[in-house]
Amino acid sequence: MNTILGVGFILTTGLFSAKLIKRIKFPAVTAYLLLGILIGPSLFKLIPEGVLNSSGLISNVVLGIIAFGIGQNFSRYHLKKIGKPIIWISILEACGAWALVTLTFLFILRQPFYISLVFGAIASATAPAATVMVIREYRARGNFTDTLLGVVAIDDAWCLIIFAISLAISQAVYTHMMAASFLIKVFFNALLSIFGSFVLGAVLAIVLSLLYRFIRTQTELLIFTLGFIFLNIGLAIWLHLSVLLSSMFLGAILINAHRYSFKFFDALKCVDSPLFLLFFVLAGANLEISVLPKLGIISIAYLVFRVIGKVGGASLGAKISNAPENVRRYLGWGLVPQAGVALGVALIAKSDFPAVGEMIFTTIIATTVIYELIGPLCTKYALKKAGEI
Amino acid sequence: MQIKDIMSGQVISVTRSSTLRQLLKLFDKFHIFPLVPVIENDKRLIGIVSFRDLIDALSSYHPDVLKLVPFLDEEEIDIFKMDITDDIGNLVVVEDIMEREFISILEDTSLEEAYKLMRLHLKEEVPVTDKAGRLVGMVGVFDIIQAVFRQKGIIE
Repeated sequence: MNTILGVGFILTTGLFSAKLIKRIKFPAVTAYLLLGILIGPSLFKLIPEGVLNSSGLISNVVLGIIAFGIGQNFSRYHLKKIGKPIIWISILEACGAWALVTLTFLFILRQPFYISLVFGAIASATAPAATVMVIREYRARGNFTDTLLGVVAIDDAWCLIIFAISLAISQAVYTHMMAASFLIKVFFNALLSIFGSFVLGAVLAIVLSLLYRFIRTQTELLIFTLGFIFLNIGLAIWLHLSVLLSSMFLGAILINAHRYSFKFFDALKCVDSPLFLLFFVLAGANLEISVLPKLGIISIAYLVFRVIGKVGGASLGAKISNAPENVRRYLGWGLVPQAGVALGVALIAKSDFPAVGEMIFTTIIATTVIYELIGPLCTKYALKKAGEI
Repeated sequence: MQIKDIMSGQVISVTRSSTLRQLLKLFDKFHIFPLVPVIENDKRLIGIVSFRDLIDALSSYHPDVLKLVPFLDEEEIDIFKMDITDDIGNLVVVEDIMEREFISILEDTSLEEAYKLMRLHLKEEVPVTDKAGRLVGMVGVFDIIQAVFRQKGIIE
């Protein structure tokens, strides 16, 4: 099969498998991942080499687009509107999963520190799509639902920051394990990555705003926006900065700098869905079934302790911010699903730590499938207990 | 020539607390639903309602925050099979369905600028405001085209 035929096959089968799975009320992401596993090299081998080899390219582009969209959370209007509970809950549930998974991997599973930290950081991500699907289906309404939506929307932003910090520390630990000046280097690396990404995103956002006045039509707007996202991703890779952070900062600064900046984000909607589909199918295809049996305990520990971290962190955040009782008790259960952001950051970890990358990535795909299957049920349980459906 | 010279100054507008029923009643006799500006008591423009938002009112929960969610499956809406009761007409208010992010133009914008903006954003009509953000009128692409025809002497 040639590459183009392969892409055509993935797009069409992906579309229809998503339609099929929606009938039994599961998110489309689950269908894409399962399809990927099914037609990937581990099972039916229906994805041509050329497409598999471009996984890295597609995932970088998709991650850039996702992170750019996440940047919208930082608009002045949005930040003003979301209340204290959402900020506290989202930060603490992300950090709760991060800390608990890291500690579990370090002390119970006896994994090296840098691997534990990467798993912890990936655990902080959630997937809003599955949660939103349940909210829509049952027409949930009320304060609990509003808080939950606010939290799932913004917490991936914290995840990107947590991951950038963790990755910088892990890399430093991995490469300078023996160095005496170790702590300073770790600190410096993390700082440089965040600050450099911020500067890159900011500079590009300013240039983009300045050139915007030459844009005349929708088509030009789409090309213009995509062009800048690619420039940003490419420069971030070239300068060894964080693709995720610089894309997020580009989005965040743009949404505040430009009056009609929401149009940039709208324009992308025309092209992002097929890219997302390809990304998820290829993620599924990268699952190494032969590695799976060895990952049983790791996967179970990750599955369980991530949820405990989220539920515990959300509860603590709700307590600090004086949120109502139902939010304090049940909100964490709405945060179980994980998908795009977790897979994306796992891919980055895979390419940065080739020796253990396979193990990290396969664990995250396997747990993603499980979380996407049980996540909607957990969200439904939370909404029911909270009394909003 | 500026937008304020050709816009229509008399605009049907609603407030955020207008109900869906009141909104629909306003355009009972129209065969289309125009772009409706939403204003505060001091005439400040805070949102717009388009016919797409009416469909959203039929569908379900639709807060702004959903715009921030990546890979959200599009909701399939069959407006003929929606399970809704007639009290939705009083329960849903304009604030629930209005768009808070929208294109508007200042009254002293030139016709060329306005035309460019509407073409770029594929808008047939947009609300016009003064510098303080108060609604002063509406202008459509047709108003601009008409003005050009008038300048060329094709119509009086």
